[in-house]
Amino acid sequence: MRITLTINGDTRTVDCEPHESLLTVLRRDGYYSVRYGSETGETGAAAVLVDGRLVASDIMLAAQADGHQIETVEGLAPRMEMHPIQEAFVATGAIQSGYSTPAMILGTKALLDRNPDPSEDEIRDMLSGILDRETGYLRPVLAVQRAAAALRGEPVPEVVSALVPPLTYDVGGEGVADAAGLPAVFPKVVPNPEVPETKVVGKPELKVDSVKLAKGNPAFVDDIDMRQMLYAKVLYSPHAHARIVGIDDSKALALPGVKAVIHHGNVERVRYASGGQSYPNPLPYDQVSFDNKVRYVGDRVAAVAAESIEIAEDALRLIDVEYEVLPAVFDENEAIMEGAPVIHDEGEMDGAHDPERNIVHHIAADSGDVDAGLENAHRVFEQTFRVHQVQQTPIEPHIAIAYWDSDERMVIRTSTQVPFHVRRMVAPLLGLPVKQIRIVKPRIGGGFGAKQEMLIEDIVGHLTKATGRPVRLELNREEEFVSSRTRHPQTITYRTGVDALGRLVAQDMRVVANTGAYGTHGLTVQMVSGLRGLSSYNCPNKRYRCDVAYTNLPVPGAYRGYGAPQALFALEAHMEDIAHELGQDPLEFRRKNWTGVGDPIDIAPQLGEGEAPEDGFVPVITSSGLEECVAQGERAIGWKRRLDPAWRTPADRPNIRRGIGFAMCMHGSAIPGLDMGAASIKINDDGSFNMLMGATDLGTGADTILAQIAAEVLGVPLDDIIVYAADTDMTPFDVGAYASSTTYISGMAVKRAAEETRKLIVDRAALMLDESPGSIELADRRAWATDGRSVTLADVALHTLHQEQQHQIMGTASYVSSESPPPYAAQFAEVEVDVDTGQVTVKRLVMAVDCGVPINPVTAAGQVEGGMVQALGYGHCEEMAYDENGKMVNAAFGPYWIYRADEMPDIDTYLVQTMEKSGPFGAKAIAEIPKDGVAPAIRNAILDATGTRIDNLPFTPERVWRAMQSADG
Amino acid sequence: MTRIRSYHRPSSLGDALALLTRPDIATAPIAGGTVLNGLPDTMPEEVVDLQALGLDEITRDGAMLRLGATARLQDVVDHEWTPPVLRDLAKGEAPNTLRNAATVGGTVAAADPESRFLAGLLAFGATATIVSTDGEQTVAVADVLGDGRVLAGSLIVAVSIDVDVTAAASAGTARTPADTPIVLVAGCARGGVITLAATGVAETPMVIDLSDVDALDPPGDFRGTAAYRRHLAGTLGARVVADLQEGGAV
Repeated sequence: MRITLTINGDTRTVDCEPHESLLTVLRRDGYYSVRYGSETGETGAAAVLVDGRLVASDIMLAAQADGHQIETVEGLAPRMEMHPIQEAFVATGAIQSGYSTPAMILGTKALLDRNPDPSEDEIRDMLSGILDRETGYLRPVLAVQRAAAALRGEPVPEVVSALVPPLTYDVGGEGVADAAGLPAVFPKVVPNPEVPETKVVGKPELKVDSVKLAKGNPAFVDDIDMRQMLYAKVLYSPHAHARIVGIDDSKALALPGVKAVIHHGNVERVRYASGGQSYPNPLPYDQVSFDNKVRYVGDRVAAVAAESIEIAEDALRLIDVEYEVLPAVFDENEAIMEGAPVIHDEGEMDGAHDPERNIVHHIAADSGDVDAGLENAHRVFEQTFRVHQVQQTPIEPHIAIAYWDSDERMVIRTSTQVPFHVRRMVAPLLGLPVKQIRIVKPRIGGGFGAKQEMLIEDIVGHLTKATGRPVRLELNREEEFVSSRTRHPQTITYRTGVDALGRLVAQDMRVVANTGAYGTHGLTVQMVSGLRGLSSYNCPNKRYRCDVAYTNLPVPGAYRGYGAPQALFALEAHMEDIAHELGQDPLEFRRKNWTGVGDPIDIAPQLGEGEAPEDGFVPVITSSGLEECVAQGERAIGWKRRLDPAWRTPADRPNIRRGIGFAMCMHGSAIPGLDMGAASIKINDDGSFNMLMGATDLGTGADTILAQIAAEVLGVPLDDIIVYAADTDMTPFDVGAYASSTTYISGMAVKRAAEETRKLIVDRAALMLDESPGSIELADRRAWATDGRSVTLADVALHTLHQEQQHQIMGTASYVSSESPPPYAAQFAEVEVDVDTGQVTVKRLVMAVDCGVPINPVTAAGQVEGGMVQALGYGHCEEMAYDENGKMVNAAFGPYWIYRADEMPDIDTYLVQTMEKSGPFGAKAIAEIPKDGVAPAIRNAILDATGTRIDNLPFTPERVWRAMQSADG
Repeated sequence: MTRIRSYHRPSSLGDALALLTRPDIATAPIAGGTVLNGLPDTMPEEVVDLQALGLDEITRDGAMLRLGATARLQDVVDHEWTPPVLRDLAKGEAPNTLRNAATVGGTVAAADPESRFLAGLLAFGATATIVSTDGEQTVAVADVLGDGRVLAGSLIVAVSIDVDVTAAASAGTARTPADTPIVLVAGCARGGVITLAATGVAETPMVIDLSDVDALDPPGDFRGTAAYRRHLAGTLGARVVADLQEGGAV
């Protein structure tokens, strides 16, 4: 049918099918700012203005829009210019991946067109339909307020850090003024006198990818047009456990428009492990592209490439598959019991611990003598916890496009956190040498670990090989839930011995983990659980035992925090309860035991993934701001209110009890001895620099903070650094974005590459100024001699490239660390519990984080805000629920609930500086630690409010109500 | 998204009904489309868009508020005549990107068992005006929800609400503040008579008798077992009644 749309003022007729969505038609017409996040309107990534109203275009037929006015972000500002709303989103740090930013900006426009001075509630309601997994919504709200002020003609302040006076140490000099009253958009930084002055590092610089993200320019995987593109769909298993007895693709192949059908009968069986990890990937290699057995509802059976998505979907229905259904097991404890169905019975299980019992890994680590420690303890406490399965839910689902380039090399453009690992891992599956594959990671719309996998790249590669044509595969929302990756469920038991003074003397941690149908990250996630579960507190005797079980659940993998959120939920609940049992203040009890500078991380050598350090080497903690974090958090949350009965039990709401909980968090910065990053930097004619690096920005701001590090070393403003990253043909290697490694590892690689470049610049400037290199300083885009003479970096570049002793000034460096200095944090949560219904309302979250020196306080604060909200979902409302046959029953947003803008608790973040000497400009990691403390802090707050201990996640109303009922009973 | 074969946008009610009553062509009316367009691709074959029928007006005659069938939920939220409790329930029904499309009539026709707005309409004793080729009839919304067959070959053109109530209130329990409640109870007091309606206790929202919540047979799910839902219906119902007796907001 033919419809008429007026798009950004331009009226045009468009051909479309009656069933096509407005989203489909707009994207086909080149409006790439309108993004796919769902097909039923629940993510809002596809929201556009229709007659001035913000509407989800994925749930609207294009035909419904016939004759109407459509606005997209493309219409907001011409090239090289930004609309004040776009400027506000950039300035406030409201943009992380930027995937849903165009929808937010359009919503802002519609709101401010109606109401130039909206309330915060009105702003949050406007954002209520745009799910954001990244920012925690705080900065988008601030962006709308700033845009409103700017459009009203009011001045808007430059965003700078709000310095907060430290509470546990003296900063010297005139001290720091109280930060109260400063704009909320200023990130709160607690300064440390050990941190030297810098010009670009430590400043809230604007993100280097702001233009493309704020303007909705084509930047993501799907934002390209390719001639002859084919569309792939995957047939997924309806059974949790079954053999494929027969598969007949003839009817599918006969359907006009179908170009290939692949399955176990026509794809070579090459075993692999899908986790995106360094070479060699941990055994066992328990997957193949297509198997003759399926092991969970959502497992791959076949894939189709066709001329359209609709034809591909129709073709899937024409594939006849005969299954022999097998008994299934879903619980990790049942899976390892005698007589449980054997999930991997294929007999090719090198490296699996005991596949006959579904135990893929057994992990053991010891420090001291736990049995003796427990025997001699004053008291011993034992407690078992169950943590559940959740999904990362990046708003951009997995998507990959493969094609042959003009040299007949395969290019895979993919939304991945690990482009270099994917190239190495996909090569044998496709039967191609590594050199014949190029992986390109453009902007990606969030990953959170789900994309630390080689998940769908082999499928598009196989189909491109089979058809010779470009092939695109995008998971829809249901497929993203059931067939991508999730967080490992675990059963965790702690036994802890304490002495008469309340000091830990022995700690025994036992985990049975559920890795679903495949191992992928099963070993290393659970190693991190042991490492993090036994490192926060000093204890002379520690033991970790873990069985990682195969089950018939969708596959867990990497999820931001890796194995730490599970372990720290159990640990921080356990420590809280021990304190109560001992009659001690829970903070003081922890303080007596927590680690600090000079303490060893004694279990680390046995639970590290990297090359084992030299004999006897035990890493030692070199920086900790934990005491200051706790002090700031206590003050901000109003910790003392716990002692006020009138606050705890509000007189006007008799069913409500209030409480505050605390959790201490300790994480790591990268995998020592393993994670490697590299960068190269070259100078251009005008004294600007191209920086090429393997680091993989998934919306975190990594490109920005790495460019800040380079700019600081090279004495230039940030916009003189042009970043290109994560393209296996063009950039140096990097392991990718995971394990909180980018700032610490890639940051040091960039710093060293910049120092290498700087040395070459200094040498040339010394020649030009007839000075010794040792006397040259770089600042303000110039090289300075001590007598005040200078040359510009453009002069240096032109001289070097064109005039004398020509060469390219270019520095390259790599970095691996033997250390992984821990960031620390104090997490506080305030809750209200309805004791008649079990409903828990989280009112406030405060996190004070020691991430060393935050390279960019705005992006760092954004990481904490967004991470806390993800963690809030983990503790409070998110869960993957299944029927008795292992089919997920809530594979859509809504039934699977993630927090919306209009229901957020107050969130408050403090960045407590420490000077970590091993990190770039004093930095440690920040990406994952915000995931660690929220669930236990909520749990401990519920305990504080009601006296009820709940050792299972999440804290949904019926679970809490039943726990209170049984506690009463 | 639904794989419909043909889209119609009639400009008269007669044309719309003629399209909807054709034999042998599975045809459905579409208003906002937020439900229909998300259905599995099995039906319908053709859709009849109601947007050109002029059914989106909100009018008032004395205490009788008339919401046109294609008035959007956001229009209900924004309108000064909407009773505050009903406004809150309409606002809670969906985020604004969907409220800007979803309509009053579509919400009634969809009969979502967890619809807060429908619970509000039931509590207020709302009626639906339904037009078919046989003419116009007025049916209680409760009856439409009770038996959707009343809509076969017909169109809802308006929903009418007598807003002259003594008090109105609602209470729900959900995982988070904006989440769809596991159970929500809405109530109205009119004269001395209290009407309560609940979501999450049956296959559609329904009027409940607080003295007989044990007779409810809710379908349980992972968010709430049947027993818990009965508990919530009783607890929340008692709260609403207490609010109504204290003269909760109208």
